[in-house]
Amino acid sequence: MNLTKTYIPKKFHQAVVKWQETYLPDYDFLLDNWDRYFPRDTRFELCAFREMGMCNEIECGEQKGSTKFRQAAEMEHQQGLHVLGAVKAQASTEFGSIQQHQLTLARAQEEEEQFWILRMMAEELRHGYQMFHLLLEDDWSAVTDQSGPEMVEEILSMQTGSHILGAFNVDFDSFIDNVTFCALIDRVGKYQLSMQRISAYKPMAESMPQMLREEAFHLAAGVVPLRRWMEKAAQDSVYITTQDIQKAINKWLPRGLEMFGDERGGGTNVRYGLKPMKNAEAQAQYYQEVGKVVRDLNMRFIRARLPELSLAQAESLLEKLLADGGSSRGISLEELISMPHRDFFRRRGVPAFKMVGWAGENFDDVEAYLRHLTVHLPDGYRAGRDFKDYAQMIRRVASAELTGDEAARTMPGLRRVGGVCPCSRAVRWVVEEPDGNGSGGQAQAAR
Amino acid sequence: MTESETPVRIRQLEDTDIGGITALDEKIGGQYRPEIWERRIGYYLRRDPEALVVAELDGKVAGFMLGEVRSGEFGLEEPTGWIEVMGVDPDLRGQAIGRRLAERMLSHFQNQGASSVRTLVDETMTEIASFFDSLGFEPAPLRSFVKSL
Repeated sequence: MNLTKTYIPKKFHQAVVKWQETYLPDYDFLLDNWDRYFPRDTRFELCAFREMGMCNEIECGEQKGSTKFRQAAEMEHQQGLHVLGAVKAQASTEFGSIQQHQLTLARAQEEEEQFWILRMMAEELRHGYQMFHLLLEDDWSAVTDQSGPEMVEEILSMQTGSHILGAFNVDFDSFIDNVTFCALIDRVGKYQLSMQRISAYKPMAESMPQMLREEAFHLAAGVVPLRRWMEKAAQDSVYITTQDIQKAINKWLPRGLEMFGDERGGGTNVRYGLKPMKNAEAQAQYYQEVGKVVRDLNMRFIRARLPELSLAQAESLLEKLLADGGSSRGISLEELISMPHRDFFRRRGVPAFKMVGWAGENFDDVEAYLRHLTVHLPDGYRAGRDFKDYAQMIRRVASAELTGDEAARTMPGLRRVGGVCPCSRAVRWVVEEPDGNGSGGQAQAAR
Repeated sequence: MTESETPVRIRQLEDTDIGGITALDEKIGGQYRPEIWERRIGYYLRRDPEALVVAELDGKVAGFMLGEVRSGEFGLEEPTGWIEVMGVDPDLRGQAIGRRLAERMLSHFQNQGASSVRTLVDETMTEIASFFDSLGFEPAPLRSFVKSL
């Protein structure tokens, strides 16, 4: 590992700190109590890291074998636009997820789980900062008319409802969302970061390794609490049920699948050497990996409910339940969790607004479909704005007022009603230093 | 089957391996200890996930090795790789899985700037001692002391 540590120019660094004070107010608490939960871990620092010594040649696509680009201006215009879009989308997701997590962070029942999420939020802040480093270090004028400061301002001004990707425009309803989001949506992040690790734009590739290292823990911050909850659920805890977990998976998995982009696309990224896989291939791997998580959680449930079973006996019981349904040894299939069909509750991509049910069944009647969804989605979510917007949209599609593609382009558009002070729209995050001092990030060898 | 024929994949450990490692630990030690592995893997994943390796065979964890580079401990100021936990499926022993896990981990330690790698082995566990011996490890003058409290 050969990392270089960098800071973005002071006025932008201060803009991120100001944003953090608004949307991540527990940041100081995290740092003050860092040694309590992470006594041997390197303390968190808001900075950008670049991995040195990575591959210099483009690794896939039409320019495979050519030297990677160090500057945006070296790329073809369309290629540069794709890179810029990816950097901005990545930045948006990092800041967006913090806004979502903050909504329900305080509701955690276990302090350790809460602290893990808090650390994860701080690291997402660093990842957003990392993307700002890419936007500000390079000259993007050959690609866009928007200046670096304007791009930073635009991203810091986004809120739940105006972010680039749908998963980051959905409110959290309980701490189950915090944990499930880490297990499912951060897993998409892992795929995207892994793919961007080979990017033909070298500064992007060099930004990925440290983000991936941190992302590994973010997934654990989701999966470990879920495993513990499955044990509690098996012991008939009053605090959590497998139904709660199932509904959270039903809420987030469709959004995770959509984060890969349209199933028919992704070829351009491969051609430009920006990612090694098309959307459908990466999405299929992701769906399979989530299936592995679900199976693992079910095993955790069975072993906790029937501790007298050996591993082999528990595995064969799970197989029997999955194959035959019904119940066996006091456990019914309904008590376990299952993967929703990959076309369930989709609003982007090939299955968008096609009224595919949880088990893959097709619906003709929109009201019957919406009733079906309400059975499978968390109560708090279906009572919220995002679901209402979806319901209105799918009714318009069902009445042929809109096509599925047209509807997909408008979703999600979460409207804030009274949740945000109107004057906040006037806030500018990036403020010029009176003395003109504010440029000049500094780099140093980190490790 | 020789080492080259063994279709075992050595790769970085992921969160999805917690169940597999718990199962392997149970197979080796006879105890089901999910909480221990959830906590332990959570710990390692947030420190240096690239140091953590598993051997995968037919989609199942066939072996694993956990460790990290540290410095400043026991008077060892230079960065030192530590192999702390490992396990190989008893049914697959003798197929160089442990060696391949160690090679991957040691290579990572070297990239991290470690000039040596250390581990502690219970003297009664002769099989593990000879495994490390076969990798070129030698007894070190640093002795382990313990006192009951």
